[in-house]
Parts: sequence; structure tokens; C-alpha cells
Amino acid sequence: MADTLPLVEAKSLVTRARAGDFSALEQLYRAYERPVYTLARRLTRNADDAEDVLQDTFLEVCRSLKQWRGEGNLWGWIRTIAASKALMRYRREKLREWEPLEDDVPRQADDVPLQMDLEAALNRLPERSRQVVWLHDVEGYTHEEIAELMGMTTSFSKSQLARAHDRLRRWLGAGVRA
Amino acid sequence: MSETRHGTLEELVALRDGEGGAWTREHVASCTACAAELERLEQVRAQLRALPAFAPPRDVWPVVLQGARVDRRRRRVSAWSGVVAAAAVVVLGFAVLRHSAAPAPEDVALQKAMAESAAMEQMFQSLHPDRRALSGQAAGVVADLEDQLAQVDAALGDTTAWRSAPARVAGLWKQRAGLLSALVDVHQTRASVAGL
Repeated sequence: MADTLPLVEAKSLVTRARAGDFSALEQLYRAYERPVYTLARRLTRNADDAEDVLQDTFLEVCRSLKQWRGEGNLWGWIRTIAASKALMRYRREKLREWEPLEDDVPRQADDVPLQMDLEAALNRLPERSRQVVWLHDVEGYTHEEIAELMGMTTSFSKSQLARAHDRLRRWLGAGVRA
Repeated sequence: MSETRHGTLEELVALRDGEGGAWTREHVASCTACAAELERLEQVRAQLRALPAFAPPRDVWPVVLQGARVDRRRRRVSAWSGVVAAAAVVVLGFAVLRHSAAPAPEDVALQKAMAESAAMEQMFQSLHPDRRALSGQAAGVVADLEDQLAQVDAALGDTTAWRSAPARVAGLWKQRAGLLSALVDVHQTRASVAGL
């Protein structure tokens, strides 16, 4: 996703927000609430978790505004905070409830050519595969960046992406219906 | 008979992303199956990017604003604590020089009030208030107390008042100790440590 705010405007809002102007902070929030929430929904697949990630992300943004140096786009900085929060939530939940890392889809169902839409197919992917495919193909993160965010290796990221596309191919058939 | 190897999915995805090796590039140029697979991968990526955005079901801005306000007050209190401590050192030094023999009763009262405040501040900081999650109501109480504390600290930061009205300054230190005690109480009884 492209940054919703031009850099000059983003810098101006951040400067005002750092000085304690809450209306500038709200403008930043309004500019990024949808992309942050969308990213969180895609990574957590759960509306309640996504809402928590949205809230935690902006509380972190408020606390850390001084750390954004105005280099690179603001969305990239906020997006990484949001992705970290969402993935951290996933890791915490995995500690509580054991789930196979590789595969939460029945093997038999994998072999049946299904004709489903992309949204349904994406939601059907195992957690890690869905997270990798979204971060890489949609958000544009490199495998190195994904590995760092997830605390895994680049090989893990690459293989998860390939597996995700393998499944999507089988489930979507020849064509892709969004 | 020679076997034809097609590009693996990982190789084709890498090629799609502009990172493919020379073999994959050459192979795709002459293999219609792999070229079609590459095209499909590009199509899937384009369709993923075109999926609609989600709108948050509830407006969480009021919660974010409340958190930002509490955070800002906390930073302000922390900054003022440093100023007040520096002012205290200067004025106490002055008092010691003035009363090198026996300290005056007002100086004794002042030092006692400052010691109480320092003890409460130490207790408050030991609770790690920045790591505690507060409910909306408790956050409001904390915000009010921190506002009052900021006002007291601002008054204590004025060193001329220390010399002209030492009794009033001792009162401010007592007030400060009381506010910190109330903050300790709220954090001990109504906050949970974040992450636990």
C-alpha cells in the first residue's frame, strides 16, 4: 500500500504531535487506521485481535514518535510497528495453545481441487503461510525482513511463501476470482 | 531419454520477484508451462493487492487519546521531578550555609517533608507505572493525580519561593508526598502489569 500522506504533510503532523497537539495525532490516526486495521486483520484473521493491534500500534506510535526521523515514509514505520504487534500476539497465543506449525489444513482436503474465491482461500491458509504471503506479496516485505519480524530464517519465509502459492493454486484452480 | 525439469514454485516466485537465477529465466523463456505458472503467480499477487481494505468496527481513537494523555502527563511528571530535585539541592545547600550551626525549625520541617516525598517517589517508581495497564476509570484518576503533581512540581521549580516562603514550600512537599501516595495506591490496587 502506498503512503496515504505526502511526506511533507506527515512530517508536519508528526512535529505538531510531538509538541503535544492531539488534533495532529488524531489526523495521523485517521490517515492510518484502515491500513493498520487491514494489516492486523490479515495477520491475525480475527476482528477482536485486529482491534487490539490497532489500539496497541497507535499507543506505541504516540510513545515513539520521536524515533521517527522523517527518513522514508511514515507508513513504512507505522506498518512495521503494527506487523510486530500482530505477530507478537500470534506468538503469545501459540505459547498458550499448541498448533502444528506447518499445517492446520487436513491433508486430504489439500488434494481436492476446490474452486473458491481468493478471500476464502487466503483465510484457509495456515497461519504462518498466510502471514508470509500477505507480508511479502501485498505489503512488499523482503524475506529477510519477514524473517526478522517473525524471528525465523529467510529459508522459512521462502518455503512458506512457495507452500502458500502451491495451496492457492490448487484451491483457486486455473483462474483467480477475487 | 532426457528428463525435462520444470522450475520449482520457489524458483518461479523468486523470478516473479526479480530475484530468479539464470537457469530459471532461460527455462521460462522456452517452457510454456512454467511461463503460464509465472503469469498465474503474478495474477494472484495482483488480486491479493486488490482485495478490499477492512474498516475497524469500532472507533478506538478515544482509547488511544486517553493513553496518549496519560503517557504525556507521565513524561511531564518525570521531567519535573528532575527539575524539582535540582532546585532542592540548590536551596538546601543555601539553607545549610545560612544555618551552619543548628538548623531552623522551618528547615527541619522542609527536610522532613522532602524525605517523605522522596520515599513515596521511590515506592511509586518501584511499581514501574509505565508497564501497568489501567482501566478507563483508573486511568482517569491517575491522569488527575498526575496533573495535580505536575502543578505542585511546577510550583516547587520556582526557587525564589523557596527562600521567601519556606513554610509554604514544606506544604507543597507534603502535598507532593500525598499525591504520590495516592498514585501508589491506585497502581497497587487497580492496575495490572502489562503482558502478564
